[in-house]
Amino acid sequence: MSKSKKIVVLGHFGVGKTSLIRRFVSNSFSDKYLVSIGVHITKKVVEISPTESLSFVIWDLEGTDEIDTIRDAYLLGTHGALFVFDVSRPSTFQNLKEDLKIVTAKMPKVPVLIIGNKIDLVVEKELKELLKEHNIDYNFLTSAKTGSTVDTAFLELAKELNV
Amino acid sequence: MNQPDKLEILKDILFTDDRAYAEKIAKRIEILEQNIEDSERLSAQVNPIVNKELKEFVENIPHTLGPTITETLKEEIKNHKDEVVDALYPVLGKMIKKYVAQEMKMLSESINNQLSKRFSAKGMSRRFRSWFGNVSEEELLLSEISSAKIEQVLLIEKDSGILKGSFSKRKTIDEDMISGMLTAIKSFVEDAFNQKNQNLELIEYELYQIHLQSFVTHYIAVVISGNYDLKSKNKVQDIIFNFYNSFMAMNLDLVFASSSIEISAEPVTRKKIEKELSKSFGNEQI
Repeated sequence: MSKSKKIVVLGHFGVGKTSLIRRFVSNSFSDKYLVSIGVHITKKVVEISPTESLSFVIWDLEGTDEIDTIRDAYLLGTHGALFVFDVSRPSTFQNLKEDLKIVTAKMPKVPVLIIGNKIDLVVEKELKELLKEHNIDYNFLTSAKTGSTVDTAFLELAKELNV
Repeated sequence: MNQPDKLEILKDILFTDDRAYAEKIAKRIEILEQNIEDSERLSAQVNPIVNKELKEFVENIPHTLGPTITETLKEEIKNHKDEVVDALYPVLGKMIKKYVAQEMKMLSESINNQLSKRFSAKGMSRRFRSWFGNVSEEELLLSEISSAKIEQVLLIEKDSGILKGSFSKRKTIDEDMISGMLTAIKSFVEDAFNQKNQNLELIEYELYQIHLQSFVTHYIAVVISGNYDLKSKNKVQDIIFNFYNSFMAMNLDLVFASSSIEISAEPVTRKKIEKELSKSFGNEQI
């Protein structure tokens, strides 16, 4: 039986947190935008190697532009987190450093991966220049729509948690 | 060549194109007449157009007529409530009758089943309780049938909502997800009311009640069906606290009644937790 880990997915409104999770868990995507209210929980077993796996219990938290308003109660006992921003909306990553400070203050010692989602909407070269210009450090650039790098991001988190 | 002949020749020369055109029109009129007179040929021409128009009309009904129909229906129902009840009664009445009959059948089967065991230890005990308690055996039987039952027990880590073990008489949907959602609901309620050291203790869900009991690092969720009265609640609490004292305190919360007890070096496995849950909750009557 694989070990269970609580993963929270955070970020501003409409950055594609739910779509990212849906792509990872059920390999599907919908263009319809439905606002997440409260929290939605899903589960997926991640195979790290032929002999090792982790069971991710993923908490999809409702998006908020004020990261400090996220309920602390939802973050308790978190093992790993994904902070998602929308590469096509600079307002979701302009204050990334401040947002991450709040996140790490709320969840000290919890590994947080930074994901730039919706890369299908932008030209990658221009995006990289823009992120460099804003001095944005990220771990992965993904597209929930095409599935690009989504599994890789979650697998990376699983590897970090399995150390 | 006389004058009229010359005139005819001149007419032939001048009106050749017009005549050809007139002949062409006449031919087309003839074909059209044949098409109209021959119903098969006519329908072959007209049907595709009618079908297309009809299809568009049907597709557009929700947009064009939908709001009007809805509004009219609402108005009609509002103004003729008695007629609506009369119209629906035969359908709904039958459904309700069928449902009640089904429930009565199940109750009757359950009573028969209990009566067939009337000479068992439980049956005899009921008879004695009836004699000495001045309550009819039937009443005691009915209260036994509708009594609360433990359906499922989940042992959950308090903060993360990770399921540590479960006991269930029949498998339900993913227990890991239920545990997460229960923890999210519990966290939300406790956080929203901003009351420190107060816990959500009961969730009512149609025919089920979920009894929640928090401890230091974990909490227990017991899913109960049937008539969950105060007596059953006390019984469930007793079972939970017995389980806590005999297993959870020492193995999960690391709280010891006596300092002489040594901490087990082995981590507590899910299998062990589930074995203990089954032992504590499996055969208990509430």
